[in-house]
Amino acid sequence: MLQPNQPTNLTRSEPAARSKLHPLVDWQFDRSWFDELQARLNRNGPWDDWQLYQLAVEAHQAKQVTSFDELRCLRCLPSLEPMPHQISTASKVLHEMGGRAILADEVGLGKTIEAGLVLKEYMVRGLVKRALILVPASLVLQWVRELNQKFGISAVAQKKEHTWQYDVVVASMDTAKREPHREKLLSQDYDMLIIDEAHKLKNKKTTNYQFVNQMSKKYCLLLTATPVQNDLDELYNLITLLKPGQLGGQSEFAANFVVDKRLPKNEDQLQEALSAVMIRNRRGDGGIHFTKRIVRNIPLSLSPEEKALYDGVTAFVKERVVETIADMASMLSLVTLQREVCSSRDAVFVTLVNLFKKTAEDSPLRAKIWGLVENIRAITSNTKAEKAMELIREIDDKVIIFTEYRATQEYLLNYFRANGLHAVPYRGGMNRGKKDWMMDLFRGRAQVLIATEAGGEGINLQFCHNMINFDLPWNPMRVEQRIGRVHRLGQQHDVRIYNLCTLGTIEEHIVSLLHEKINLFELVIGELDHILERFEKQELSIEQQIARLVAEAGDGTDLQRRISGLGDSISRIRSEVQSEPELEEEDAIGNLLDAVGQSISMEASP
Amino acid sequence: MNERQVHRYVQRFLDAMDCTVLEKSPAHFKVKLSPAADRALTNRPYYWSFVDRTGADPETMSMLLVTDRTKFEAAEAAALAQQQAEQPPKPNPESPLASATDAALARSFGFVHGEVNTIRMPREEMHFGSRRLDQLFDASQAAGSYVYLFQEPERKHLLPYDSTPYTAWLGVNLKVEFACDRKREELYSFGVSLASGQCVERFHDRLLELKMTPKLPPNIHITKNGLSLGKALSTIEQTIERKLKNQDYSWAAQARERLDDELDRIRNYYEPLIASALEENKPAITEQYDKRQAEIRWQYEPRVTASAINCGIFHLAGID
Repeated sequence: MLQPNQPTNLTRSEPAARSKLHPLVDWQFDRSWFDELQARLNRNGPWDDWQLYQLAVEAHQAKQVTSFDELRCLRCLPSLEPMPHQISTASKVLHEMGGRAILADEVGLGKTIEAGLVLKEYMVRGLVKRALILVPASLVLQWVRELNQKFGISAVAQKKEHTWQYDVVVASMDTAKREPHREKLLSQDYDMLIIDEAHKLKNKKTTNYQFVNQMSKKYCLLLTATPVQNDLDELYNLITLLKPGQLGGQSEFAANFVVDKRLPKNEDQLQEALSAVMIRNRRGDGGIHFTKRIVRNIPLSLSPEEKALYDGVTAFVKERVVETIADMASMLSLVTLQREVCSSRDAVFVTLVNLFKKTAEDSPLRAKIWGLVENIRAITSNTKAEKAMELIREIDDKVIIFTEYRATQEYLLNYFRANGLHAVPYRGGMNRGKKDWMMDLFRGRAQVLIATEAGGEGINLQFCHNMINFDLPWNPMRVEQRIGRVHRLGQQHDVRIYNLCTLGTIEEHIVSLLHEKINLFELVIGELDHILERFEKQELSIEQQIARLVAEAGDGTDLQRRISGLGDSISRIRSEVQSEPELEEEDAIGNLLDAVGQSISMEASP
Repeated sequence: MNERQVHRYVQRFLDAMDCTVLEKSPAHFKVKLSPAADRALTNRPYYWSFVDRTGADPETMSMLLVTDRTKFEAAEAAALAQQQAEQPPKPNPESPLASATDAALARSFGFVHGEVNTIRMPREEMHFGSRRLDQLFDASQAAGSYVYLFQEPERKHLLPYDSTPYTAWLGVNLKVEFACDRKREELYSFGVSLASGQCVERFHDRLLELKMTPKLPPNIHITKNGLSLGKALSTIEQTIERKLKNQDYSWAAQARERLDDELDRIRNYYEPLIASALEENKPAITEQYDKRQAEIRWQYEPRVTASAINCGIFHLAGID
């Protein structure tokens, strides 16, 4: 019945009165209710219920937007606790910027939360109904989840043509700008457009830029942690997309504000112009203080049977490496065997059986593989699993266990169940509903979650602060992702990380590399990206480099020497990276951007 | 709305919709929905069209509505603890039969958790702002828009032929929205006597003090209407316009100022751009300029709109 903005629905004569209440203000009185009332009188009904009539009025009284200024959405979101800088950012966008802004917080300060607050507030006030959120494809589901779970906004991920009809749609930029979608989106008016990773719009000539420029939108948020990467023009383009003329025409901008690509002039003026459209919160000098990470390596000795299997597999791998001569892919898969033994016999069993099937029937390898399988039979217990069990009992609180292998996961589930411990699984292949269910179970009654996947769409487990790395990925980013599940904004406790580490195996070397050389577990969030980016610029991914070392190393000490060489080069890069922020302090653009926002320092209160 | 208000609201909604409450506490309801409530709340149009077409007996859904999460969860935890304390330890859950069933299920469905493998009653959080509560709000509106009611007589009539005079009123609850790039709202309620044409404010409050019924009570007669519904409508329009004209419009002046600033800004950007553009590019840039202008007007232009929440004809005792 409330459709003040859709005059097309009112078909009868003089559907609404339009006049002026004040010289500046249009006034519209919707009469559609009256026509309907008359129609019902003529037809003698049907009539609605008096109780529900009263309830409808009460609903509107409760939802009434009583003032222009307050942030009403907060009272609708009892379980969301935004941080003070997020709230102040949202209200600045709403009340001072008219709903068009660049949110340029540094990584990890919660741009998504800020954007969600702004969107929710407009929705609660009835100023936004249709919203489009364009993000990189890998973030689509994460956005959908956050909007739904944290903000109670029914956002859907764009999958099919008809999805565009929903009120709030999250889509990837690459899909949206392609036909037939492009045309469809350009023919609509969106109450709000949000673009994540908006630095991809810095170049005027790209289809991304032109597409967004052509869209019709009322409110608009651009999210990026790096509004300028190389060139002041990037900043100009971004702002012009949002508010054409804010920095004048292109040539005016160049004349007034630019000395050189990276050197601005008239900074005060430029900064003023920027701060009208951009908010940038930075970590305070001490950085945001997350709670502590307490890392404990738990060295374990393999049982004689397990050791025999490990040695057998190692010998097998060595032999094969010599034969296959450094084909990277097969080398990786061979080394995987060694890693699997360190995890569980079940993991290595599956791989061996597959390998056996793939091997030609007359190959002499078959006998060797079968010999290894026989070795497996001899193993009756799993040293790591027993230790993990002991740890969990000791911790006596929620624990998340990460393993790389599905077979290990199954084994642990059964092993724990047999010992009367509630554990639930989590893996990438589960559909969304099942994942959510497993999360709920873990939050509720299960003490242990056994996960094979850490990345992907956010599993956020701030309610748990103990994690066991049953085995470790070789890619430090993936280790960081694992930790990031529990150690993130909102975690109230120090996070305890236990690394199970079998002595005399490659695992021992990996743990020492990640822990001692990279100091992975104590890095500032975001730092690892920079380090790896540089390290991997050189050649192979770190995972591949390690695999090569392992495969090519002569014996244990040789391997140790090589891995420690790798570690040293990473340490070097790390100290380079860490000394850089000081260099950036000198950077004129950096200074300019920094001046636009506030610096946040949040000492976590334990 | 705090938890108690939400709880009361939910209770009254379930009553009005004829739902069957299976269990309740001050913090929750377990409820089997009535067909009407199921249609309004569960989003199962295919199922309902199936029922409508085949005439099958509908099976409505049950829901657990939690109106106070903290209390509810505390109560649940306490109940569980008590249960555990009272009950002797269960017989060995690892009995061969049980584990065989689990294993069989696990083969078909992946891992199956023994204890949760029961039918679930979906749990809904009913805090202010939650989607389910909003849905209740919308359902109230949808089924509470147009009414035709009579005041119940206060006392029994002594004389069988004594008749009380009633007057018909047009009543409407209005929401007025003051919007630019920001917004606020006011609610109004008007009633106009169709006998005399007098217009009453806060009409809804007056109705709440009375008992209303959809049935024509005995021994009453309705005064002849002195004016048409159309006339009553214009009375309401004039009254509200008069009230609104006396408001403070500095917000609109500010919005207009912002609007003009924004228009100036893009004019300074686009006009030189168009002037210096190649002839063949001009139409495209002009079109873009028009679009930006339209967006800015859409965003900032101050406007006031009134629309009805709900309305009805109310027959009240007395000649007014």
